[in-house]
Amino acid sequence: MPRIFFIKVGQNYIIIMSAAPGSAMDSLSAALKCNIIPNQEYLLQGSVLDQYVEVLLHRLRGLCDNVDSGPESFHDHELSFALRAQGSGAAPMVLPLRVRRALDSPESPWQLRYVGQQELGDKNRPTVVRSSIDMACSSTIVEFLTELGCRMDFEYIARGYMFRKGRMKITVSKIFKMGNMNTKPGEGVEPISQSYLVELSVLAPTGQDAIAEDMRIFAEQLRPLVQLEKIDYKRLGNMS
Amino acid sequence: MGVTILQQFPTENRTGPDTIELLSKRIKALGAMQHGNFLVDCETYTSVPQLGHQRTVHVLHNSEQPATVFSILDTGTKTIPLATDGLFDLLMMKMSSFYTSKKQTKAESKGPRFEIGDFCVKLGTITVSSNFKGILVEVEYKPCVVPAMCWDLMKEFLQGFLGFSVPSTPPTYLQNRMQELYTPIDTIHQYLEQFMIYRKSPGIGVRT
Amino acid sequence: MQQREEKQLEFALDNIIQRVNDLKTSIASMIMKVENEYENLNWPNFLDNYALISGQLTALSKVLSHDKCPVLRNLTVLPLLLSPERDEQLAQSTEGRVTTFAHDLVPDYLRTKLEPMAETKMLQIEHKAGNLTYENAQKQVAAYQKVVVHVWDIVNKAREEWEVESSSRGNTQQNSSVADTHLLVAAVGMGKGLKMGTSPNGNPTSGGMMVAPQNRPGGSGGSVPIPPNTQSVPMNKAPSTIKTNIKSANQIHPYGR
Repeated sequence: MPRIFFIKVGQNYIIIMSAAPGSAMDSLSAALKCNIIPNQEYLLQGSVLDQYVEVLLHRLRGLCDNVDSGPESFHDHELSFALRAQGSGAAPMVLPLRVRRALDSPESPWQLRYVGQQELGDKNRPTVVRSSIDMACSSTIVEFLTELGCRMDFEYIARGYMFRKGRMKITVSKIFKMGNMNTKPGEGVEPISQSYLVELSVLAPTGQDAIAEDMRIFAEQLRPLVQLEKIDYKRLGNMS
Repeated sequence: MGVTILQQFPTENRTGPDTIELLSKRIKALGAMQHGNFLVDCETYTSVPQLGHQRTVHVLHNSEQPATVFSILDTGTKTIPLATDGLFDLLMMKMSSFYTSKKQTKAESKGPRFEIGDFCVKLGTITVSSNFKGILVEVEYKPCVVPAMCWDLMKEFLQGFLGFSVPSTPPTYLQNRMQELYTPIDTIHQYLEQFMIYRKSPGIGVRT
Repeated sequence: MQQREEKQLEFALDNIIQRVNDLKTSIASMIMKVENEYENLNWPNFLDNYALISGQLTALSKVLSHDKCPVLRNLTVLPLLLSPERDEQLAQSTEGRVTTFAHDLVPDYLRTKLEPMAETKMLQIEHKAGNLTYENAQKQVAAYQKVVVHVWDIVNKAREEWEVESSSRGNTQQNSSVADTHLLVAAVGMGKGLKMGTSPNGNPTSGGMMVAPQNRPGGSGGSVPIPPNTQSVPMNKAPSTIKTNIKSANQIHPYGR
């Protein structure tokens, strides 16, 4: 007798017809084959000066879906880990992992995320694309990763607002450097710039490039207040 | 979700399917109804030498919590549990150059799932890399979440249909946690404990 | 000869009627717009309509002053029969505006001179203008000129201000800074400026931030202190909150098949 299941993957639900129990890994590879797992992130980034953030928020409030409820605020602590080992060849192997938790909602699950190398593509591609595996996790994650052999590279506090427009997510966040090692998160932090970071992103299964075009059009509507662009990390790395 | 006890059931001279049949008959005689099947599986990954001292990650799935992947990291000195949603399996694939799995360690417990009043009973056939290893009975008493408060009741229930193979003391994993709130990860810990025992034991030789 | 003149007249009349009809429809559409679309009628649109009408007026006066156009002033229209009865043909050709060809309406429609009252008023004004001295007239013209120039200046100045303002808004993007964007993206993406630097943090577990939260307070309730643990350090229980966004359906794993 076939059964129907609703399975949550990231922010989406997957509906699967099932006839008999099978191993999770078999089903995962089946899901991968069907290309229903959102493992690509389309991304545009920009910033807005502090004194104009209100104007931007006002505009986003008008453009986005959550009009009546207002913008969703967040206050997150993000930690960036990496698992490193000297490979058999000359190149070291690195697996970057991000952990994020809501300081304003301690009961919420934490978030674990793998973010791959970004691909800029050619000029015709409107956004940066990078692979991404995003999941909820328990608060034991930091200890888990540390004991797994990961090292924390850096951490920061992000505080701001989140908007939604269809599948697109827009965050406007102030980035704070962690203060003294002995202070608790949320205390003694200092902003690293006089601007807010603005990010427009969509998490989608591989190959849904049409969404990138939607993002480009949306980004167009925020000009000239914010210039949302494809930003090349490699070039930033070389800048002093 | 209530307190869950895992209990091995000796197969003696019977085959796996015969044993399951025997236990199914007994539990049905008590008035239980079958509600589908269940599956708990475990894959074990070990760290590559470049990563320093050896660590082990056990990744388990339980059909009772179908959207969750449970992982238990064993560093040799301590264990750290982690619950994530289903994409953790995908992440383990990404980690394949740091943590590798030995295919012959894949352990499973699967079989029919019964409900009888406040109890849920699962009759699991244990296989390690497809070799039959034994029978594991899981009993959950749904109304209670503190093991100490329902152990005696559960023991009596277990003895009622498993006979006197049921020991009078709780499983070792639970012995130190009798007063704590019981959560799904505790079930996972018990399964892992059992799987480790079965992996070490020589195969009984009967394939399911 | 007579025939040719008649033909010419007919042609001219047709021409005039056509122009007048054009004018009439434009005016009607403009009135329509003003009455019904006043909420979203924009100024450039309105001016376009106006320009159309004035163009049609110019065309009409050109037709009237054309060489080939017979001098209409020399023609006489003579009402032969007045009747208080309703005239259907007349009503139709005037779109219902004039229904009877009667004595009270005919003088208004066929008038070629001004009304007597208006005529006397015009005469008075012309007389007054004729009596004005040259100096007085000059003075008044100068005064008007001054006022007009003044208004002209004000309008020009306002326009200049608008243009400067709008051009500055369009060109300078002072709302964001490229340097800040790069700083923020490099920080969030690569930890630039966020790393601990030279802090003695060789051991990754020693950082103050690295301590995993202890047992979650939400799980308390009936729990009492745990006896010393023989197996391992006390470990955090994974919260059961994640366990079911979905109720387990008897069995099956994620992506179960």
